[in-house]
Amino acid sequence: MLRWLLARLGRAAGAAWLIASLVFIGSRQLPGGPEQLALADASDLSRPATGTRATATQQAARQAVRQRLGLALPVFYVTRVAGHWHWHGPANQYHRWAVAALHGDLGVSYRDGQPVAVLLAQALRYTLPLAASAAGLATGLALALALYLARAPDSWGPRLLLSLLAGLQITPLFLLALSLLLLFANPEFLNLLPAENEAPAGGSSGQQAAYWLARTALPLLSLVLAVLPELTLPLVAGLRHEATTGYATTARAKGLTIRQLLRHHALPNAVIPLLTTLTDLLPALVVGTLVVEVLFALPGSGRLLAEAAAAHDYTLVVAGVLLSAMARLLGLLLADVLYFLVDPRLRSAA
Amino acid sequence: MIRRLTSFRPQPATWLALSWLALLVGVALLVPWLPLPYAPATPDLQHIATPPDWTSASPAHYLGTDSLGRDVLAGLLAGAQRLVLLTLPAVALATLVGALTGAAAGFWGNRQLRLPMATAGWALAAAWWALSLPSKAVLWLLVCVSLLLTLLAWRTARRGASYRRRYTFALPLDSLVLGATTLLGSVPRLILLVALAAGPPPTSVQFIGLLALLAWPEAARLVRGRMLWVRVQPFIEAARASGLPMGRIWWHHALPHACRPLLAFAPLSLAGLMGLESSLAFLGIGQGPDVVSWGSQLATLRHDSTAWWVAVFPGLGLLFTLLALQKTAAFARKNTDK
Repeated sequence: MLRWLLARLGRAAGAAWLIASLVFIGSRQLPGGPEQLALADASDLSRPATGTRATATQQAARQAVRQRLGLALPVFYVTRVAGHWHWHGPANQYHRWAVAALHGDLGVSYRDGQPVAVLLAQALRYTLPLAASAAGLATGLALALALYLARAPDSWGPRLLLSLLAGLQITPLFLLALSLLLLFANPEFLNLLPAENEAPAGGSSGQQAAYWLARTALPLLSLVLAVLPELTLPLVAGLRHEATTGYATTARAKGLTIRQLLRHHALPNAVIPLLTTLTDLLPALVVGTLVVEVLFALPGSGRLLAEAAAAHDYTLVVAGVLLSAMARLLGLLLADVLYFLVDPRLRSAA
Repeated sequence: MIRRLTSFRPQPATWLALSWLALLVGVALLVPWLPLPYAPATPDLQHIATPPDWTSASPAHYLGTDSLGRDVLAGLLAGAQRLVLLTLPAVALATLVGALTGAAAGFWGNRQLRLPMATAGWALAAAWWALSLPSKAVLWLLVCVSLLLTLLAWRTARRGASYRRRYTFALPLDSLVLGATTLLGSVPRLILLVALAAGPPPTSVQFIGLLALLAWPEAARLVRGRMLWVRVQPFIEAARASGLPMGRIWWHHALPHACRPLLAFAPLSLAGLMGLESSLAFLGIGQGPDVVSWGSQLATLRHDSTAWWVAVFPGLGLLFTLLALQKTAAFARKNTDK
């Protein structure tokens, strides 16, 4: 059992590393090199290319930048130059990136020269609380909602709720968050919650906390609503199925109410298939923060990644890919541990 | 299956969904011939951020303009065209690739598909030649070995079935396909798309390829799972017993059954890709500044939240399209499950 778990995690980790490597190597194959795109805007403004001398200086400056960022090295252990293969040994970009990444050093951003690890750590201070509270809230809400919907009478109210959830399931998060923004943070309509304001400069810590609470309310709501259907709908179906089984009939005959039956007997069985969905919850939240933080102007890791991608800042993009892969690994691990805790049959097998 | 589909009477809501989708595709295909007074990306500097005007007899912009002076109606139509022309081919490609790879992986597994050893030799030699790897001698050696293996296989094949397996190897199809799906599934799709589209804006063919690359693993996994069930059914056994070649059984008898769930899955996959495309455009990644799409129209709201008319139409359009696709998928599922 443990060996199987370890093999599964190992495969997932290997796949994550491979895809990050592919993105890294792919970014180095872009015409003109990755740093040209990132620096193009600045150089276009400052140095209008007039005459050969200007281009010569430009060439020299470009070469200096490439040297500084370590892009003058060959990309991989083996490269093909003019139809011939060359072996470079460890003096190549991929080897240096891999070794540094394994030591926790993810490189330097092309745009402002700051270490990516520092940028990510700063951004995660905002993103982690947001994602964690969204995960907790969504799970709790899904449990309560599913327990209600599973025993609700077949009337228009619960049916409307179910079709609303089904509609939410297919709506992209950005559309949902945008409509929430338009409805609740619009100066012309309903300005309940400030979406984009400066933090109160000299406020006390209580004021600061109240400000951030008001500001993260809408992003949090969008994230919860985005992952809620995936958690609730299968659980409702599972609970309804469990309520038709033999042990459920026995429990009812014994005199339990439907509520007690669902909560104490059906839920532990219905929750088992849901744990796989829980694996996808963390990656879904990573994607969610990408959209939500851009829209609500929160300084988190999702916005960092989106802006890096828009500005072709590839060190940050590759680090973001690694980070989201890590979130998925964490989700896998969490789901496996939960399986182990919830399902006694697995424990006896191990 | 076709007869069953036509004999079934869809509900009014399904009719509505299907006609909305037909309208969308029709508009997207007809955009080049529609008489539009403005191009989607050219600004009209005399009318900047004007709300829609339905009171005057001949308004300049029926649905208003955005903060750059671009006509909203023209942008809406161009966005519909971009959405349909990118996601529809992508979903067709992804479904095709996913169905073929998933069905092959599920049917043959890791051991069933045995290829003659010579094919490996020839493939290796071809790769060596195509990549122009060093040392011509190795290439010639590979060619000679392959030739020898081909001759041997040809000689032994005439002696009977027991000899036929001698110079073959099993292609681990299942592991290959599952490995590819694991690789692509290790990062959420939007993150992967953002990372892959972060370079210079991809051309539409590249974009279709990217979307198909992200969408095929799901289809492959679905078909593979179904095929594992189909391949042990009695009718496949009967086909084997009657001596049909495996390829023919796969293509004629197993594949149509294994692909049935795709009818309900394809609309959902299309909806997913539409969401991905508009999310990417909304984030402003992988798209030139002169391209208008529904996502980029919705994104203008980030800078100017008073111009609601720019966002309402593409937002509602996207929502209706996705809901219609969901309805279509539910309709297809109801019919294929019978």
